[in-house]
Amino acid sequence: MEKVTFTIDGRQVSVAKGTTVLQAAIEHGIQIPYYCYHPGLGVDGSCRVCLVKIEKMPKLQVSCSVVATEGMVVDTRSPEVVEARAGVFEFLLINHPLDCPVCDKGGECPLQDFSYAFGRKESRMEFPRRTFDGEGVRADVDFGPTLMLNRNRCIMCTRCARFMRDVAGDEQIGIIDRGYGSEIATFREEGVHSVLSGNLMDVCPVGAITTRDYRFKSRPWDNPNAVDTICTGCEKGCNITVWIKAKPEWAKGSQLARITPRYNADVNQYWMCDIGRFGYHWVEGAERLSAPLVRKADGALEATTWDAALKALADRLGRADWGGVRFALSAHASHEEMFALGRLAMALVGDAAQSSIGVGWNVSAKPQAGATRFTVPDVDAPNVGGARAFGLVEGERPTPTVASLRAEVEAGRVKALYVLDPGPAGAIGDLSWAVAARKDGRLPLLIAQGPVATDVTRAADIVLPGCAWVEKDASYANMQGRLQAASQGILPPGDARDDWRILADVAAALGVPLGYDSAHEVRQAIAATLGSEPAVAGIAALEFRRPAPAATWLQASNPMERLKWDFLFQDVLPLKFENTRDPGHRAGEKT
Amino acid sequence: MSFHPQMPYGTPQWHRSERVLADEGPPFAFTPENRQKLEEIASHYPPERRVSAVLPALYLVQEQQTHLTGNAMAHVAEVIGCSRAHVEDVASYYVMFFTKPVGKYVLQVCRTLACALNGAEHVTAELCRQLGVAPGGTDAAGEFTVMEMECLGACDRAPVVMVNNEHWHECQSPEAIQALIRDLREKGVAALTGCHHTKE
Repeated sequence: MEKVTFTIDGRQVSVAKGTTVLQAAIEHGIQIPYYCYHPGLGVDGSCRVCLVKIEKMPKLQVSCSVVATEGMVVDTRSPEVVEARAGVFEFLLINHPLDCPVCDKGGECPLQDFSYAFGRKESRMEFPRRTFDGEGVRADVDFGPTLMLNRNRCIMCTRCARFMRDVAGDEQIGIIDRGYGSEIATFREEGVHSVLSGNLMDVCPVGAITTRDYRFKSRPWDNPNAVDTICTGCEKGCNITVWIKAKPEWAKGSQLARITPRYNADVNQYWMCDIGRFGYHWVEGAERLSAPLVRKADGALEATTWDAALKALADRLGRADWGGVRFALSAHASHEEMFALGRLAMALVGDAAQSSIGVGWNVSAKPQAGATRFTVPDVDAPNVGGARAFGLVEGERPTPTVASLRAEVEAGRVKALYVLDPGPAGAIGDLSWAVAARKDGRLPLLIAQGPVATDVTRAADIVLPGCAWVEKDASYANMQGRLQAASQGILPPGDARDDWRILADVAAALGVPLGYDSAHEVRQAIAATLGSEPAVAGIAALEFRRPAPAATWLQASNPMERLKWDFLFQDVLPLKFENTRDPGHRAGEKT
Repeated sequence: MSFHPQMPYGTPQWHRSERVLADEGPPFAFTPENRQKLEEIASHYPPERRVSAVLPALYLVQEQQTHLTGNAMAHVAEVIGCSRAHVEDVASYYVMFFTKPVGKYVLQVCRTLACALNGAEHVTAELCRQLGVAPGGTDAAGEFTVMEMECLGACDRAPVVMVNNEHWHECQSPEAIQALIRDLREKGVAALTGCHHTKE
């Protein structure tokens, strides 16, 4: 790659040819404020705060649109620059309501931080502020099904309009009117209807666009921990950060505060879809299972202990013909769970183990414009790649394989069906046939393992509560065949257990122990048997993250850190991972 | 929208924006002639720049039904192949696109420097007095709309009045404007000569 070397604040820096002065400054930790520039959206040059002095240029330049050239001498701290920048900030704040105490962005707001760092101490504006839809939160108006818009806070950086035009490929946001009266708006105020709408909150550098989901829910400093993990909503495997609220164990309410995307150049860039961003509420919803359930003689499901449930399972399954046991597996299962289930099937069914497992998932088309640069895939499961690696499904675009299982169950040839679905309700696809077969007796025994109560668990004889994706360390292979680690952020409710461990416990209860003591051992076993498979290559060395104090970012209202943070929460190494907190892993488990 | 996960939003307490919108209007479609005209105009632009024809398309709408409505803008977006927000963006930027009903004759009086120095305000005042409207308003019969505009580009013949985006009437005075209104009332569009008076 061709490099250019130039001087910025007396420092020699060397960057790839074509890099702008602003990008070079960000890369080298030199403080320049900016709003309209966003690494995922490119240069606009409308906010004018990234002014710098460049030798031999007659006037101050906006660094976002000046490409660095060999020998250029840039100064970001000369009195001229400082004064001009402060002037721009004064203009930006003329109509900004400064309602930071009630604004959702307060505490993580680039306008706030940069104004403190580069702006004037006070405004000289003597006139009332221009308001668009009234004062205060009255000005928060409807902006589609997921968002709220406050035009008074807007500084017209047009990031949202450019995101919709360039990334979503569907220009739903325009700038209405002009000059002083400009406002961000959708056609006839119909709002943003896009599966990528949540990203508008991320790109907005002020509190103008907020999500309804996170609105008034928590202050940034109330989310003391954040864990870097991946989303398991579909086969894209977006890299995300899960924000965890400070909450004593006995307090009511949820711990998951929000989910934001995390930069990964190869997977999701800076973005994620709304389904992953807002669809996490089931994790702490009312339908979660927190104790094993066993169906009593009177037909009611009763909560019980693990020992009792496993004993009941061993009694029921021990009487069945093991060759007639079949498994329905959701593609929401991780590598560890698929492998452990495979081992359990081998112990019970023997050589026909692979054909005894039917894998299911949902497919749904997402309404997106053809020009979009961020396609949300149709397959709503994270680990179809894993299922293929383990030989449970076949083909370039594999299809679910529950049909033959269904035929067997409906013909009454199956003695027991073991359903493993670690995803949200119904993630395994349609299992109503199994429920119907259990009800009319064609299926003598139905065992369900999963985190939420569904029609299947309600019909099952034995229910084993598992973990949601954010409650366990697990690995998945996305649609690119890329192995990714999803890390534990919170503890599972009640007695719920990690899903691979449930499978190991079941095997032990049946007298055919799998011989794994930790998830790490399962991964080692996967590496030993399938190490050459690209979807699992390197699985034994996979690193899992721990919730890290987000305070390391928030205390850094020091814009040095924040410049990096404004790259949408991408990793701030090494601060973020040094000071880790163990979320209460079982002793002896290697992570 | 159905593809969004169900979210417990709580009681809706948010309200609609106070932004003044163009009327929804009756269903709109270009007449075959106008549609043909538009295609002719669009053919002047490279196919990938068809969006550039938004401005002429909006003028065509105003020719067809005097002002822009929500349905008309949606139709333009559909015909041009751009988003509806883009059409509204353009239409709201330029003052010569009317989002409220206007009269048959839109009298636009320039108020920029040269015209102002030559007494454009007296022309406006006389117009408003004659028609009984305030600047920006339409008379009771729905015949005349008076508007103050920025520079119309005929500074050497100030003050200037433009009628219906097309016809200039230059070197105006309160007396001349009375005659113009009288002529318009009597002869209709025939009175609009687009005349270029020479200064006496």
